[in-house]
Amino acid sequence: MAEVGQTHTTTASASLAGRVPKLQAEDVGKVFTRRGRDPVPALRSVDLAARPGEFVSILGPSGCGKSTFLYIAAGFVAASHGVVRYDGVPVRRPGPERGVVFQEFALFPWKTVLGNVTYGLARLGLGRADRADRARHYLEMVNLGGVEKLYPKELSGGMKQRVALARTLATDPDVLLMDEPFGALDAQTRAVLQVELTGIWQRTRKTVLFVTHSVEEAIYLSDRIYVFSPRPARVRAVIDVELDRPRDRERMLADPGYPLLHRRIWDLLRDDTS
Amino acid sequence: MTRPDRSAIRAAIRAVAALAAGVAAPAAGVAALLLAWELAPRLGLVRAASVPPFSRVFAEAGTVLADPAFRAEVGGSALRWALGFAAALGIGVPLGLVMARSRFVRHAVEPVLTMSYPVPKVALILILVLLFGIGTLARVIIVVLACLIPIVISSFHGADAVEPRLIWSARGLGTSRLGTLFRVVLPAALPSVLSGVRLAIGVSIFALMAAELMIRQSGVGAYLFTYYDLGDSPRVWATAALIATAGFLLDAAYVRGVKFGLRWLAGEI
Repeated sequence: MAEVGQTHTTTASASLAGRVPKLQAEDVGKVFTRRGRDPVPALRSVDLAARPGEFVSILGPSGCGKSTFLYIAAGFVAASHGVVRYDGVPVRRPGPERGVVFQEFALFPWKTVLGNVTYGLARLGLGRADRADRARHYLEMVNLGGVEKLYPKELSGGMKQRVALARTLATDPDVLLMDEPFGALDAQTRAVLQVELTGIWQRTRKTVLFVTHSVEEAIYLSDRIYVFSPRPARVRAVIDVELDRPRDRERMLADPGYPLLHRRIWDLLRDDTS
Repeated sequence: MTRPDRSAIRAAIRAVAALAAGVAAPAAGVAALLLAWELAPRLGLVRAASVPPFSRVFAEAGTVLADPAFRAEVGGSALRWALGFAAALGIGVPLGLVMARSRFVRHAVEPVLTMSYPVPKVALILILVLLFGIGTLARVIIVVLACLIPIVISSFHGADAVEPRLIWSARGLGTSRLGTLFRVVLPAALPSVLSGVRLAIGVSIFALMAAELMIRQSGVGAYLFTYYDLGDSPRVWATAALIATAGFLLDAAYVRGVKFGLRWLAGEI
């Protein structure tokens, strides 16, 4: 299985001909304007598509605007031009069908673990007991038992991110938008959570858009990687990762194709001239 | 009989030392102050007529507490304080939160707040009497004015500093834009609001006492002034000491209550 990696020179939509994308971005750009300051361009023009059930990563240097793109897809930030479509409908505001997980966890500190996970469930019309049951189900899914009465300040970083993931999964979103979710964790916790996320994704078959600046993480997790240029970002390359699933980290690192792919992506990231 | 473990003995000694540092040292400081208070008039260092010894004041405090007139005044003062405090909370917290979320309200309110911040509210007491008479209203308003600034400013800062990702998380989980004001901004700002409320408790008691001393119609402050006029210095000292103690206990109870009620709070309030 050395046939890893294929660079598309065509646009994303052309490579997806024949299938309706779950999430599709067309010519998305963003310029931050503030009174009395020069406008700051963050995204130049991004075309991107994710098919249903696909795991797609956005890889780019720090501060390149990849998080901004994710926030546009989430509906938190409005694009300056272009459009992101979810199931063909332009995204205008946040919605529970697009669940977001942040690097900084963004848990509600005034709620217990259980309170955080049940937060989004009230609007689904579930009773109190059903909400708690459902929350416990998702806490088990992220391998977090016995902490439901604790508050976020009493948890480690890895536990906080598990809670945040359970909170987002509990509302059963169609798409997971993940903004460097493991970026604030130590290497070991990070590796464990990558494995668990892969397992959850394979069981639930959700569409995932995953922002990261780690080449290894992007290769290990993704079906496809969009490599962003430095700010203002555009898509520099689209790379299919054709490693077999389920993936094993040791086997992946031992694969003769892996260092070549890693090197090629690394060069794409470093090359600032184009 | 088994021989006690050495490390256990050392741990016990450390525990006693910690207890001594935590309890005995502050107690010794207070005891020294009270001893000086007791001895200074008895040794003739200060005039006993103006500064009665501590034991005399302590005994007098019991008499004051038993005095039905004092109890009635405490009830009246507490009612006025509670009315003013509740009104300040009801106005101040929503105003501070809305200021943080609305640029227009912020620009409209900020100059008024900045101008009134350095004004000693006590200086307005007589003007309020001219406006509203010597009844309850003027004294309640002075409490409101004294509380409002710490409450508005702390609510504003608390709400202004809310991490945008918390609001985004709630929006992504289906909460409406207006809903986030109550479900996210208010609880997220709560630690800051609670510190402001603690400050407000202190300044409002001060302002109410000042108002009662000046207006002299009714209240604990008026009770105090009456005995000053009568030259009854032990009663003046005892009443003042009771007011000070009440303020101290109110603050301590507030801090304890908040810590007990809100286990999720991280820092001090």
